Amino acid sequence: MRRVSLFKSSLLIVLSTVLVSCTGSGATLHESSTIRRVDMIVKMNHGDFWKTVKMGAEVAAKEYNVDLKFKGPQNENDIEGQIQLMDESIKGKADAIILSASDYMKLAQVTDRAAFYKIPVISMDSEVASARVKSFVGTNNYEAGQMAAERLVMLTGEQGRIGVMNFVKGSKNGDEREEGFMDYIARYPDVRVVSVEYCESDEQIARTLTRKMVAEHPEMNGIVALNEVASIGTAEEIQKLGIGGRVKVIAFDSPDKVMELLQEGIVQATVIQNPFNNGYLAVQQAVKAIEGDDIQERVDTHTKMIDLDNMLWPENQKLLFPFVR
Amino acid sequence: MKIQDKRPKRKFPAEKLSFNVRSIQVIITLSFTLLTILIVLLVSIMLYNKFTRTAEENASLNIQQIIQQVNYHLELYVKGMQDIYEVVEEQINQTADIDRPILREQLNTLLQTREDLVSVGLFTPEGQLILDIPNVDMRRNTQLRQQSWYETALEQPKKLSFSAPHIQNLYKGKYTWVVSLSRMIQYKDRGELKQGILLVDVNFRTIDELSRKVSLGKKGYAYIIDDLGNIVYHPQQQLIYAGLKYENLESVLEYSFRSYMDNSTGEPRFITVRTVEPIGWKIVGVAYLDEIVTTKKDLNQFIFWFLVVVIAVVVVLSIFVSAKISQPLRRLERSVKIVSEGDFSTPIHVGGAYEVEQLSKRFNFMLHRIRQLMDQIIHEQEAKRKSELDVLQAQINPHFLYNTLNSVIRLAERGKKEEVTTTITSLSKFFRISLSKGKNTITLEEELEHVRHYLIIQTIRYKNKFKYTIECEEEALNCTTLKLILQPIVENAIYHGLEQMVDEGWIHIRAFIQNERLIITVADNGLGMSTQVMEQLLSGHIRHTGGSGVGVKNVNERIRLLYGKAYGLSFESEQEVGTKVTIILPVIPFNMENQERGMS
Repeated sequence: MRRVSLFKSSLLIVLSTVLVSCTGSGATLHESSTIRRVDMIVKMNHGDFWKTVKMGAEVAAKEYNVDLKFKGPQNENDIEGQIQLMDESIKGKADAIILSASDYMKLAQVTDRAAFYKIPVISMDSEVASARVKSFVGTNNYEAGQMAAERLVMLTGEQGRIGVMNFVKGSKNGDEREEGFMDYIARYPDVRVVSVEYCESDEQIARTLTRKMVAEHPEMNGIVALNEVASIGTAEEIQKLGIGGRVKVIAFDSPDKVMELLQEGIVQATVIQNPFNNGYLAVQQAVKAIEGDDIQERVDTHTKMIDLDNMLWPENQKLLFPFVR
Repeated sequence: MKIQDKRPKRKFPAEKLSFNVRSIQVIITLSFTLLTILIVLLVSIMLYNKFTRTAEENASLNIQQIIQQVNYHLELYVKGMQDIYEVVEEQINQTADIDRPILREQLNTLLQTREDLVSVGLFTPEGQLILDIPNVDMRRNTQLRQQSWYETALEQPKKLSFSAPHIQNLYKGKYTWVVSLSRMIQYKDRGELKQGILLVDVNFRTIDELSRKVSLGKKGYAYIIDDLGNIVYHPQQQLIYAGLKYENLESVLEYSFRSYMDNSTGEPRFITVRTVEPIGWKIVGVAYLDEIVTTKKDLNQFIFWFLVVVIAVVVVLSIFVSAKISQPLRRLERSVKIVSEGDFSTPIHVGGAYEVEQLSKRFNFMLHRIRQLMDQIIHEQEAKRKSELDVLQAQINPHFLYNTLNSVIRLAERGKKEEVTTTITSLSKFFRISLSKGKNTITLEEELEHVRHYLIIQTIRYKNKFKYTIECEEEALNCTTLKLILQPIVENAIYHGLEQMVDEGWIHIRAFIQNERLIITVADNGLGMSTQVMEQLLSGHIRHTGGSGVGVKNVNERIRLLYGKAYGLSFESEQEVGTKVTIILPVIPFNMENQERGMS
């Protein structure tokens, strides 16, 4: 009798394991094609630059089977809003967060918090003051500044008088661009930087400041604007003042207005980044971080100098005008 | 009995634990399982191959169809564009003067009805603008002479050329991605026939959307290149320009209609190339093999679980079957073991498979035979001993005969004729009963008669040195008794009890039935015996030479052999007082049957 019960029990065990394993097969099936949830938090939820970032991120998301959430506050200055979005993502237990910090210092704490909850953070485009960031994907802003300086010196000659239109004082990107610019200019003892202004990323302020700069330094023959908004304001004001061509303008980024002014000869060249690649590579790095692969500490998405000669090169056209409308 | 019961139980777990590779159960289970796995594997592999091939074929067909569909749409669209171009050209041709506002109006209407139409422009071969719809300011620095539509129109004036999509930078306002259609045409300027380049810009959006919508699996996509290998549309165009992605265009450019596998990026990809006929563009579908053949993965999974389930079921089944086969064998083995340990009485359980059942039956039969033979041997042994006893019994001590005859002679010499006669008669009767036709059992009456004659002889011999009485209950007389059981006891009483006595001795023999047992007592008033002597008597160490030759021990043994251990002799003795011997026998009425039994 004991033998029979033993046998029966073993049979039961085998059958139940088979059953359990059969029902379990569903779970293992999904594991092979896990969907990774990546939240991308940018400075602003609109604007061509960020839309292009999003486009690149979406291409990567499709390729790497990522459920991408693209978030950003209404306004680039809304630091609190960005911190809130970060907290949301931490609460939502994203697998990774890609952050383009509006403020280098103020987003450090929330970044550390994300790291505390074992959510890898990739910083994109703009760095954040946290050692817990896995990787930075973006432009080398210092080099971009140098590139702008090189071209401007080339345009204004070695006796140039140059104005700098930065956007936000204390902004990491702006500071680096300015630093790179200044360091390059310093090589030419006769080239002077006559004025450095900060337009608070406001077109109107940029216009006013440009007018002021031109008035105060009539000898100024070159001006560099270090971001998109500053570029539009500065270049348009130069055109309005009718000194286009005499005062050379180096812009940053490629909004349609800047491109138009480039064709008009007001803007001589513009330094463009590669937001599409920023988005793509940031997601790629995030996926690698989730998988626990080794990732580069810095991924440089290169900058390019665009002028009339190369703006119609097919590869540049796509960079300058990422959207088919 | 209990100890024997426990033994196999205690051994049982040890048996179960000891895993014998050669045991039937293991052999059957293993071979069953191996065979099934082999067969299932074979079938699975065959099915797998078949299924995957079909799945792959289906997938590639599916992709080819999708790409064909897109190609079809593109061709339609391109044809539509060509038609528009023809219409524009015709209208320009029909107009006598290029500056007439009616032409501008007509073209404006056309532009408004066709959403895709971005602009129409007519340029002199030198690049001077003659006509533009809509009427917007031209930009500066357009570099139109370096643009491909301008160059191809000059190079191939007769052919309508399609440019790769590019940014329309001619007119102020918007930067739009367009495909430019251009050709050298003729127009009339104030009656004068002139040559000019007609440019029609079509929004690229439709083609972009059409291509974007193509989904080949999750990761798959479609891209378009022109006949020179320039990218018309690619979802990852920027990555390619940045050198982060690579598309193997060489093999694509070689063929206009082809489907093949590509491994240039490290991942196996299924590439389908179709050509948009009128303009030589190539639409290329890229599908990732691991995605399109999802059935492969599913199939893998299915076959894996199928195997697991089948193996589990087979293992269970074979364990069950082999247990069914081997269990009766084991039981049989255990039974045989019990038998081999000496227990012949428990029959073996009969059951299980037919063969095992037969084996058990045969074994049981054999066991039965063995038991029979053993019984027979015991029986024969007993019979042998009995016959030996019988022989002993038959031996009459010559001393007794010699002593008796001596006393007869003495009596005869003294002329005691009457006593001689009595003695001889008694002797004769004594021997007749002793022999009693070879029978083993006789009636108590006869036995008492026998001892009476013995006593008669002895009283004459010992000159009335003792007296005797024989009493018997009426119903006891016809009881069966072994013959020659009383004489040795009486002989013993005379030689050890009465012979050396000075006073007159007596012997009382009584027979009666008590508690369904026949009891015969022989009491004397002789010297009595020490317990030591009594024991020696029963163990047969004392044998007096003058007796009949059949010892007291012999009597006891014979009773016990025939009737069992519950019966036999017992002594009560006290020195100087006397001895009383009690014989206990079963009450068996004498008849022929008993007599037979006693004989065998």
